[in-house]
Amino acid sequence: MKVVHKIIIGNALAIISIALVAVFSYHEFNLIQDKLHFVEIADTFNASLLKMRLSEKNYFLYGDKSAVLRIKNELVKNGEMIQSLKFNIIKSVGRQEFDKLLGFFNNYKNEILKIETAGSPKSMEADVRDAGHALKRFSENITRLERKKVNKIISASRKTLLYFFCIIIFTAIAATYLFFSKLFRSLRKIEKTAKAISKGSFEKINEKISNDEFGSVMLAVNSMSEELQNREDQLVQSKKLASLGILTAGVAHELGNPLNNISMIAQTYLTLYDKLPDEDRLDYVNTVLSEAERIKDIVQDLLDFSKPKGKDFNIASLNSVIRNSHRLVNNMLHVSGIKSEFDLQKDLPPVFIDKNKIQEVIVNLETNAIQAMSPGGMLFVKTRYKENDKYITIEVKDTGKGIETEYLNNIFDPFFSTKGTEGTGLGLSIVYGIIEKHKGKINVKSEIGVGTTFIIELPVYTLKED
Amino acid sequence: MGSGYRIMAIDDENIVGKMIKANFEPDGYIVEVFLNAKPALERLNEEKFDLVITDLKMKDIDGMEVLQTIKKESPETKVIMVTAFASMDTSIKAFRGKADDFFAKPIKIADLKACVKKLLDK
Repeated sequence: MKVVHKIIIGNALAIISIALVAVFSYHEFNLIQDKLHFVEIADTFNASLLKMRLSEKNYFLYGDKSAVLRIKNELVKNGEMIQSLKFNIIKSVGRQEFDKLLGFFNNYKNEILKIETAGSPKSMEADVRDAGHALKRFSENITRLERKKVNKIISASRKTLLYFFCIIIFTAIAATYLFFSKLFRSLRKIEKTAKAISKGSFEKINEKISNDEFGSVMLAVNSMSEELQNREDQLVQSKKLASLGILTAGVAHELGNPLNNISMIAQTYLTLYDKLPDEDRLDYVNTVLSEAERIKDIVQDLLDFSKPKGKDFNIASLNSVIRNSHRLVNNMLHVSGIKSEFDLQKDLPPVFIDKNKIQEVIVNLETNAIQAMSPGGMLFVKTRYKENDKYITIEVKDTGKGIETEYLNNIFDPFFSTKGTEGTGLGLSIVYGIIEKHKGKINVKSEIGVGTTFIIELPVYTLKED
Repeated sequence: MGSGYRIMAIDDENIVGKMIKANFEPDGYIVEVFLNAKPALERLNEEKFDLVITDLKMKDIDGMEVLQTIKKESPETKVIMVTAFASMDTSIKAFRGKADDFFAKPIKIADLKACVKKLLDK
């Protein structure tokens, strides 16, 4: 269900409950009004009855003839009133009670009428008094009952309204909680993924995509993430091709030396063949072979570097990967007038790595270090392992200009570059990604004017990783 | 032919020195080989050499610096620069630094010999 629908339904429910309360209140008020109306009529009726009974007493005690007339007048008045308000009275007390009332009334009326025809009033006294008393008692009784009912209705309404209020408040809180908790859960998921994307890890929202606006946002975030991943892959490949260009120039130079060695040996071999002792000839040919091997290694390194990403995890020796990587940047060091010092700890335990990727990391960090230094700088590469540690540490340290503290937090972000237009800002984010994939850690320490050190920790290979 | 001329070869690739030695010594040159520039420059302080063949790029001291030091200390010593990576840029640099000649790797030994002969016979 879409959020907008939920809001509409929520509002509709609120309106319906308010309407229910209103209808209920309206109904209760009507009821109270009817009852009160009846009580009002009954009061008038009772007052009239009192008058009649008074006249009745005057008649029987003092023989006041006009009293009978007064009673009759009252009876006519009340009879008319009962008839004209019949509907209201029935509505309030029900037909049965109305009929009873009418019965008592008519009975009394008949007794009064009988007085006129009877010869001796005294013989009538008891009957008239009984009928009058019964009518009065019944009338007062239902009046009292109706009063009681009014009070009951008021207190019941008060309770019902209170219940309504509680139910509405509870439902509103529960619905709001459910609605917002789902909303915030979705928002949190989106926020988490967006943060991950901004850090260069192109995650997707894996949970069930709901059929609402958040679902649409999640789908949009997912497709954005996918698109960014594709773009980054393209950029990474082009960045790699660009650095391959730089590396190739260096490698060409690296190849120059063994080629020259082979060439010079072959020329010497040809011109001095007759004069060369056998051991020299052997030595020459062996040297040619080892120089050819050297060329093969360099070409292999270059091939490995340019290889598109593949997940070739193998058990490897970190030191040899570092040495191979270094061959690729060797020339850059020479050209830039940078000296290098290697301090690779012997007998390191093996690591489970994608050799090409780690090589890429080392080449990247060394290239960055070289670019950060002016001639005369020093590049230090160090490996360290303490027994029983879970990680091997690699340090790549330069004596370059250093990185501003404010930039340190961002240097692993994609597209963040301190090299201006020269850098793509991808180098270190790729490095970061590779180390992450190896379940390793990368940190950086830097001091302006002193240099920068990148510290990589790679997990030592243990059997259970297989 | 080259009897008595002292030649110094500086290159961090030991095979280069070894081959220069193998090719020049039979012709009567006295060849000394150095893998690093620093000891080579110290040796040049002790003794005069007629010709130095030096690589342009070395680990300890840049070949251009070697060239400049030699030309300052003993201007009459001929210097041939060698580099593995021939480019207009490096060759212009070499000649600006008053190198007597410039060779790109792979070196043609016959050409190098002819060049050395020409420079020393002047």
